[in-house]
Amino acid sequence: MSAALELDGLKKSFGQTEIIRGVDLSIGKGERHAIIGPNGAGKSTLFNLITGRFPQTAGAIRLHGQDLAGKAPYEINRMGLSRSFQITNIFPKMTVFENVRCSLLWSMGYRYNFWSVVSRSRALTEGADSILEQINLTARRDLPAGVLSYAEQRALEIGITIAGGADVIMLDEPTAGMSHSETDYIVDLIRTVTTGKTLVMVEHDMGVVFGLADQISVLVYGEIIATGTPEDVRANPKVQEAYLGEALETH
Amino acid sequence: MTDQSTTDPTKPAQRMRAGSMAIPLLPWCVAAVLLLVLPFIFTANSAITIMNQMAITIIFALAYNMLLGQGGMLSFGHAVYAGVGGFACVHIMNMDDFFASIPLPLLPIFGGLMGMGLATIVGSFSTRKAGTVFAMISLGVGELIAACSVIIVAFFGGEEGISGDRTYGMPFFGVEFLQQIEVYYLIAVWLMISAALMYLYSRTPLGRMANAVRDNPERAEFLGYSARWVRFYSFVASGFFAGIAGALFAINYEILTEENLNTTQSGIILLVTFLGGVGFFFGPILGAIVFTLVQTVLSLQTELWAFYLGIVFVVTVMFFPGGLAGIIMMHVPAMRLGKLGRLGVPYLKTLGAGMIGCFGAAALIEMTFHFRHASTGDHEMTIYWTTFDSHTVLPWIIAIAFTVFGFGVARRTAPDLVDAWNDANTPNGATQ
Repeated sequence: MSAALELDGLKKSFGQTEIIRGVDLSIGKGERHAIIGPNGAGKSTLFNLITGRFPQTAGAIRLHGQDLAGKAPYEINRMGLSRSFQITNIFPKMTVFENVRCSLLWSMGYRYNFWSVVSRSRALTEGADSILEQINLTARRDLPAGVLSYAEQRALEIGITIAGGADVIMLDEPTAGMSHSETDYIVDLIRTVTTGKTLVMVEHDMGVVFGLADQISVLVYGEIIATGTPEDVRANPKVQEAYLGEALETH
Repeated sequence: MTDQSTTDPTKPAQRMRAGSMAIPLLPWCVAAVLLLVLPFIFTANSAITIMNQMAITIIFALAYNMLLGQGGMLSFGHAVYAGVGGFACVHIMNMDDFFASIPLPLLPIFGGLMGMGLATIVGSFSTRKAGTVFAMISLGVGELIAACSVIIVAFFGGEEGISGDRTYGMPFFGVEFLQQIEVYYLIAVWLMISAALMYLYSRTPLGRMANAVRDNPERAEFLGYSARWVRFYSFVASGFFAGIAGALFAINYEILTEENLNTTQSGIILLVTFLGGVGFFFGPILGAIVFTLVQTVLSLQTELWAFYLGIVFVVTVMFFPGGLAGIIMMHVPAMRLGKLGRLGVPYLKTLGAGMIGCFGAAALIEMTFHFRHASTGDHEMTIYWTTFDSHTVLPWIIAIAFTVFGFGVARRTAPDLVDAWNDANTPNGATQ
């Protein structure tokens, strides 16, 4: 299995403070990889480094073997990596349908096209509608995205993230702030829509992590202290000491 | 919600799709017919002058809204793109041989290209960021180019500006554009072309992404689009149509001065666009029509027209951020429910009374202004077709009475209006 995403000695400092202190990680194609760790461990920073939101201080990030250093988020996205955000990040004033349609434009080759009318493209309309079908928001199609319920907005965000056909999907706490039933719903949704894709997720809910991931990495104070299958990680004494023990007992 | 069971709730997408595929043609046909027949209804020369001014302002406001409403870019210096386009056209009018070889109706293309060229240069650095940074750069560049008008005299003609003669162009099917009405139709055709192109632009992938970048630039970046390039293209397109507006100004007035470039002009177009409503494509059109009417008709009646316009603008920003278009679109839900009629009487009561109050207040303002600023001994003034002595007490009492009565009644009836509004927006059978 060749690596979809590789981190090599990745470091990030903000001023004097080193947040990511040398992360090595290889995530294989088609793997569902969860990154867990206590608050402030640097999980979101790691996400932001990989997706080009922040430049790294040292080390390398490779997507399908290609170095991402110095690339802007939109360039990384064009290379086949897509992400969702911890805080819902959609286009609130546009309709649900338009949110999804916008996320299809680049990947369907429209680029900065200003000579064709979007509503005339059957492929775009059908593509967006089929995504809406997958995320069960067809009934909300023509509402402004801002008026959807929280869980629906999260589902829409996942729809936007997968719509462009990226093969590496990164989800930042997809179930944050959700009730139990909403969480179950989103987990099923994630499982369906990411079939055959590489999934990297940050998640706090251990139920979600153990239910969804084939590989888990534990990030503590900017370093990965363990990587392995859920069983390995669960049994790892270092992990139990650092973080997981208490979290597991409550489940 | 029982009446909804006749439609299949599982297939809303299919139901809606037919509607959203088509571009609504009816409003465009109505607009074209209106433009065609308006000069036959308002035949006076002054009316045609006003309509020309209106059409030019519409194009400019629509171009401005490509930035403000669709791209989320607040520009304080957009007059320069129209102005520079206009100046370029006057220069072309003065190039005897070249101008004689092109028909006048094609001249706006040159204005557009000039506006676009300038926007390309300025946009290359100003569109990196939206928000305050963009607004400040637009203000700075606007001031800079306005200041150039007295420095680069060869192009801007200094304080007196430059003038030309549109009739030296190649005759267009025998038309030499000596008559105001011929210019009217030239502008009307360009209005239709520009408005249609700007509307279509908003429906293209780039136009849609301009909205997306406005709403959430970061998310757009993670969809493969560089927010900066999307803004840049919108800016360039907007500069093009602003240049066309400037060119039509040059054709209509045959003179351009520093006033076409300065911040006042940039402020006016912001005001026009906001007044009309930035959220809908047709908003700036309404804004331009209302503003031009106020500017031309009201300014004949009172020196204080800008003061009233300022009040209207502040009220719009504070209470109706959607502008005139927003106010109109607010009524769509009630119309869909077929209950718009229920608003008629309450509107008449509250708004009618409010109008009386406004007229009273305006009379008070005019009287105060006359009392303070009329030359000594000139006590006579005329408002609302009534002539009286502003130094006697009776007119003041009457004006105060009207103001208090009007606003008082409006205030008393406002709760009824709110009830009627809620009723009109509640589907039949639903409990409140």
